[in-house]
Amino acid sequence: MIHAVLIFNTSGVPRLTKFYSPIHHSSQTLVQRIFSLICTRPAGLCNFLDAPELEEFLGKKSHEDERLRVVYRSYATLHFVFLVDASESELGILDLIQVFVESLDRAFENVCELDLVFHFDEVHHILAEVIQGGLVLETNLDEIDRSIKQAAQARKTSFASSNPLSLGGGGGLGQRSAGLQTPLGWLTGKLSGVGAI
Amino acid sequence: MATGMRGLTQFIADIRGARVRELEEKRINKEMANIRKRFKDGNLDGYQKKKYVAKIIFTYILGYKVDVGHMEAVNLISSNKYSEKQIGYLAVTLLMHENSDFLRLVVNSIRKDLDDNNEIHNCLALHAIANVGGKEMAEALAEDVHRLLISPTSQSFVKKKAALTLLRMYRKHPDVIPAEEWALRIVSIMDDPDLGVVICVTSLVMALAQDHLDAYAVCYQKAVDRLHRLVVDHEYSATYAYYKVPSPWLQVKLLRLLQYYPPSDDPTIRSVLHNVLQVIMNNSAEPTRNVQHNNAQHAILFEAIGLAIHLDTNSPLVGTAAVLLARFISSKETNVRYLGLDTMAHLAARADSLEPIKKHQGTIILSLRDKDISVRRRALDLLYSMCDVDNSELIVGELLRYLRVADYGLREEMVLKIAILTEKYANSYKWYVDTILDLISAAGDHVGDEVWYRVVQIVTNTEDLQEYAAKVVFEHMKSPSSHESLVKVGGYILGEYGHLIANSPGYSPLEQFQLLHAKSQFCGAPTRALLLSTYIKWVNVFPELKPQLINVFERYRHVLDSELQQRACEFYAIASRPEEDELLQNVCEEMPPFPPRQSALLGRLNRKQGDTEDKRTWVIGGKEANLERQASKRLTVMTTGAARLSNGSTGVSQPDSASAQDITKTLAGLDFTTSPDQAEAPGLQHASSNLSTIKVPPVVAGPNVDRWFDKLTYSADGVLYEDIQLQIGVKSRYHGHLGQLAIYVGNKIGVPLTSFTTTMHVSEPEALSVTFAKMPPTMIAPRTQTQLLLHIECNKFFRTPPVMTVSFLAGSHQTLSVRLPLVITKFFEGVKLGPTEFFERWKLIGGPPREAQSIFPITLNAAGHIDMPKHRQVVSGLRFDILDGIDPNPTNIVGAGVLHMAVEGKVGCLMRLEPNREAKLCRVTIRSTSEDVASEVQKLVQKPLTTES
Repeated sequence: MIHAVLIFNTSGVPRLTKFYSPIHHSSQTLVQRIFSLICTRPAGLCNFLDAPELEEFLGKKSHEDERLRVVYRSYATLHFVFLVDASESELGILDLIQVFVESLDRAFENVCELDLVFHFDEVHHILAEVIQGGLVLETNLDEIDRSIKQAAQARKTSFASSNPLSLGGGGGLGQRSAGLQTPLGWLTGKLSGVGAI
Repeated sequence: MATGMRGLTQFIADIRGARVRELEEKRINKEMANIRKRFKDGNLDGYQKKKYVAKIIFTYILGYKVDVGHMEAVNLISSNKYSEKQIGYLAVTLLMHENSDFLRLVVNSIRKDLDDNNEIHNCLALHAIANVGGKEMAEALAEDVHRLLISPTSQSFVKKKAALTLLRMYRKHPDVIPAEEWALRIVSIMDDPDLGVVICVTSLVMALAQDHLDAYAVCYQKAVDRLHRLVVDHEYSATYAYYKVPSPWLQVKLLRLLQYYPPSDDPTIRSVLHNVLQVIMNNSAEPTRNVQHNNAQHAILFEAIGLAIHLDTNSPLVGTAAVLLARFISSKETNVRYLGLDTMAHLAARADSLEPIKKHQGTIILSLRDKDISVRRRALDLLYSMCDVDNSELIVGELLRYLRVADYGLREEMVLKIAILTEKYANSYKWYVDTILDLISAAGDHVGDEVWYRVVQIVTNTEDLQEYAAKVVFEHMKSPSSHESLVKVGGYILGEYGHLIANSPGYSPLEQFQLLHAKSQFCGAPTRALLLSTYIKWVNVFPELKPQLINVFERYRHVLDSELQQRACEFYAIASRPEEDELLQNVCEEMPPFPPRQSALLGRLNRKQGDTEDKRTWVIGGKEANLERQASKRLTVMTTGAARLSNGSTGVSQPDSASAQDITKTLAGLDFTTSPDQAEAPGLQHASSNLSTIKVPPVVAGPNVDRWFDKLTYSADGVLYEDIQLQIGVKSRYHGHLGQLAIYVGNKIGVPLTSFTTTMHVSEPEALSVTFAKMPPTMIAPRTQTQLLLHIECNKFFRTPPVMTVSFLAGSHQTLSVRLPLVITKFFEGVKLGPTEFFERWKLIGGPPREAQSIFPITLNAAGHIDMPKHRQVVSGLRFDILDGIDPNPTNIVGAGVLHMAVEGKVGCLMRLEPNREAKLCRVTIRSTSEDVASEVQKLVQKPLTTES
């Protein structure tokens, strides 16, 4: 299963942290630990990392024999990191990261780091359409997109019903106010590290 | 949504604007204080609550501790506005964990959302359970979730979430889910047309099947069928293609699922699966430039290779795979190298012969120096797995050399592995002792106590080794800095066996003492205590050292450490007794050999890799390690964890004096007397007996069903079963011990029967084999018929006809079991006999027990006569040749036939039927060379002719 999904930028600031197993220490230390593992790895190494040193964070007692692996992928300024156990296919997880990024991209129309900051709730909702409880829920981009749109629609309807006078307003996606937009590079095309084309 | 909440956007912008951490904290504290006040004042409307909870979530995500807002989140959940509900659920899943008290408050809201007609509300609720659901929630809501999963009206996206939610509940609290009861229903969803649903249900099935292999056995054929449709038929909706690969996740899952089952016995399934794997391997032959495409293809390929290894390590597929792997481990792409090594370790763990891997030994050893630690780790695992008696010296030597430069984090594991390999595959004692001492000198800090205990054990138990060991350890200790573990080994060995080398130049008692005692000042108390014991032994064997030694005891009598002090005092007292006293001698008697015992090392390594949630299908290590693991796993499954056997304890050690010469036996404490084949047998037997003891589902009953069945026992074609939905007809053809049975299943209703599944239950599988000629279809369109072709072979005598279970979804899930009209007489062939031949044989066979006879009532036809045509039809339908002119009475029927069986050969059978019109009775007499056949045939003749009362 997938134990955690993390996104942090190249300076180690977490942009998304989602744990599917209870963690035993502060999540910040865990994120820092993972970041220090990854940032020291130059491009060109593989996307997988054995991480016995992370076991203490994820309840060594309950499943002491877990062979935890870190599978990560870097896009432009962001690292997407999945913490998985031995029952997941490593390359499968790499594909899954790509799907997650592509669905973020669709929802935000060229996603950038700021989207993840200002729309943290939406990012969680999108993640929830891809992974549920540590397991792959859907991998079909169209399906994911459809579910997200549906939720947005429902939000819009409920917003409109409570604010009959507003014109649109709540609910829509990708409404970045112009002042906030500092494009950091479009992510999906910016695969860095291994396999960068 | 952040948009539409200006306060939130402002808050985020402020925090981003904060130049230093203090400012950020200040801003957050201010906000939290404000929120706390607002919450305290109460009277917030939904929008405000939503806004504040969103701010709290953001603060939490930044890594700050938050202690407010839980109650408000709970309230938001019960709001009927989706936007508020959504934030409420987000807060619950992020801020709470499964044991949180607040969760009790949301159970009812969640149940309400699960029952809601609005599917996206269902989804929110399911997602919440899947993330934070604890025991209470599982108990309260499992039924509701299951209902959403199986309900025909559920939308696909609800089903997906429901499946994963059930899985989560099962992982956390297996007893809440009646896994066996729900098995067939859940497996049937694997035929869902929506691949997304299939992915999720496959995940669920995979978890459940691991603990309930038999109940979920049907999933094997479903998985194979789905793979075939994806890989060979390319039957999938275009949106599920990921960079042109049909749903790689699903393929990977299915391939993984199949590895949890023993290879199927069914030749049809086997050949379909073989075909699938072949296609997957061929696909990989055409590399593309697209990274994602390559990734996806490799993900499948590696899993397929894993499955091929699992199915049969000797198959040509695995040969192909080995060639591919060899290419992968020297690939330019790091990911591929990594996975290539990993998969090769799997192959090494299972294969009978390590030859194909050994060919690449050089490449693998080079991988130990790969620039990536992940790859280095895999190379280490692989070297460990591929080590055997032939290459152990080379591999251990390489590992030792690498150990000196290895990453710090890797060393402990390496040391353990080197120690185990050395012990397991040592060709000579000398090499063993040399290597282990090298190991201790090279990486002392990482050498666990088990390692040096083991050396001591082995040296003590092996007389030839003692002198050599003493010399070597002495030499090792000469180096200026010896590790403490080495001092311990040295202290023990020289104490026990120092006298053996005392006469050789350079090893005199005094030199031994000086060497050892010089080290003692750098050692901790436990080691010093050990050295004191060494000295007292020396007092016994080297009287010339006595003054120095007593001097040492004398000094240690005043140290602060109580253990040391006590030892010193006691030893001093013993040593100071008069010369002729025997106490010292008795105390310092040579150590008796240790009883053979299992190596503590293996125990430790095994402890490191036990069962995970989704259990691994193999472990790092050689073939026998895996076999042992499998056996113990089966046991655990069988006893359902009642007495969980650890992997280590199954390797029972047997004291075997005859084999004491064989170092591998005494050393590893493993019982090698069982060859791998034998070890495998119990496991497989267990599996097959498991499969055959699957309880046969109760067959449908009813007068019609029996009548149809009875009629088919003596006719080749006809109806086997019929109700308002379904008609099952049979056509059959037999020749000798072989037969073909075509079963026609007709769908009589206006909707398709989906997830159509047929399974065979043969209660005497060694006597009768029944196999599908090809995989049965999974769907029957409205008002159409489908044909299933069965190949049948009779090997031995059997009594019970096989039962076919048909299950399908038509609104609800339905299951139907019918007996197939396969009786022993189907394998008869008639024989023409003249009167003399007939009577000759009849007499030869003689009376009981080789004769079976009975008298039963019969019904006369409308005209009051014996129904001769029917009698003749039954007898010839039972495949006897009717011999006319043998019995003078024309109403009597005489017949002869030969039963053909592939294994037990041919059995002759003669019969005579004597109906009596007046008494309305009939007598049947069967004589056969086999008693079983006689009695069985007698029953079969009587059954259709007797009056139904």
